[in-house]
Amino acid sequence: MLIDLRRCIGCHSCSVACKAENRVPLGVFRSWVKIIEKGKYPNITRHFLPSLCNQCDRPPCVINCPVQATWKQNDGIVIIDEHRCIGCKYCLASCPYNARYVNPLMPIVQKCYFCYHRVYAGLEPACVEVCPAKARIFGDLNNPEEEITKLISKNPFQTLKPEMGTYPQVYYIAGDADAMDPFAGRKEWM
Amino acid sequence: MDVNIIYNIEHEMPLGILISLYFYLTGLSAGSFIISTFAYGFGMVRFKPLGKMGVVLATLLLVIAPMTLLVDLEQPLRFWHLILYLRITSPITWGTFLLTLYPMNCVVYGYFMFKGDMKRTKFFGLLGIPLALLVHGYTGFILALGKARVLWNTAIMPPIFLVSAMVSGLAMMILVVIIKDYIIQREKEHNLTLIYDLGKLLVASIVLDLILIGTDLTVLLTSHTEAYKAALMLLKGEFSRLFLGVEVLLGAVIPLFLLLSPFTKRSIPGLAIASILVMIGIFAMRYIMVVGGLSIPLS
Repeated sequence: MLIDLRRCIGCHSCSVACKAENRVPLGVFRSWVKIIEKGKYPNITRHFLPSLCNQCDRPPCVINCPVQATWKQNDGIVIIDEHRCIGCKYCLASCPYNARYVNPLMPIVQKCYFCYHRVYAGLEPACVEVCPAKARIFGDLNNPEEEITKLISKNPFQTLKPEMGTYPQVYYIAGDADAMDPFAGRKEWM
Repeated sequence: MDVNIIYNIEHEMPLGILISLYFYLTGLSAGSFIISTFAYGFGMVRFKPLGKMGVVLATLLLVIAPMTLLVDLEQPLRFWHLILYLRITSPITWGTFLLTLYPMNCVVYGYFMFKGDMKRTKFFGLLGIPLALLVHGYTGFILALGKARVLWNTAIMPPIFLVSAMVSGLAMMILVVIIKDYIIQREKEHNLTLIYDLGKLLVASIVLDLILIGTDLTVLLTSHTEAYKAALMLLKGEFSRLFLGVEVLLGAVIPLFLLLSPFTKRSIPGLAIASILVMIGIFAMRYIMVVGGLSIPLS
């Protein structure tokens, strides 16, 4: 997935669509938009960072799951078998992106899986379809004809925490370093 | 430049005090098992009274320890998935087998010890040492391989866990011997040199533990930004009181003083207080590692 932050307007439609599509309970999120504000008036800007599971190419959650309840499929999506998960929460501790949560209603671990039920039916993920600014582009990076491949080929892009060696598969165009830094803006951590 | 976070999501901390307690109990168990093999595995006769106590404590603690894990699972009734669907890259899978083999070995070793079959006791004692080291070493790997958390993801984590297991095991042994000699069997003759010898071993392991903690902190302080911030969290942030006050001062420096100063190193109350402080300090260390490591923000 590619998120073009030049187009993002910070409307939270993706978060709402995800909640509705996947019946995500109160208090937890599969997809959310981090918002930061930087500078002093009149030189001030807001930056958005839509966040979700990065479907890493080398996912630490998959390596560390002791019961093979989560794995990476051939198409690149990391999914969870909810009937096999024992809820040891080691994957939550291993994920560098805070993408996983324990469902408060049904005690198992869940996360974003690019709406694979929709993708297999030939639709786009809910957050992609609902984005009014068309900031989210979903597709196959191995196909040179797809829009996502063309955009990534033509623009500078960033990924979150590349130093973790996870090879994240959510790409950002025009991401702000402060929005991508977990410590920026936290006074108690400066 | 001014940066303010307007909106962000942070999910609840996945692991907590139960996991710290689990690490603490396996540490105590591994420590007391190793002390028990001093006499029966390596033939150090002066530690012979500790052999039986050590193996009983090691077994009991290792029966309780996995219970805390089971309670911490979201789906405890699915625990058998760990054996049926194991994934070998996960340190929890290593733990599944170690936590099965090690108590079994403890029971066999104890059985032969109480029967008086010295040859077999020695065999199972020596077999148990790598198991005891692994059963606690793997808990270090659980943290070290959780690579999202900067406080955990260091190669020194398994050695720190092993040495602190030894520290807490020795302290518990001293306490148990004191309780046995001065409360339960008050009339019998006491073996003071045994307690003093244990005290000397405790000094050595506390010093080693402090060296490892110092190494870890030094590298954190000079490493990348996230590591530097984790080190600052321990030194002057949210966990500084627990780290500097309880883990280092109460749990290591004061006991070292009590164990080395000529006034207290031969006094039983001094040794008892030192051991209690050490045990509190090691629990604080486990808690800081688990909860402190998880409290560093990710998003």
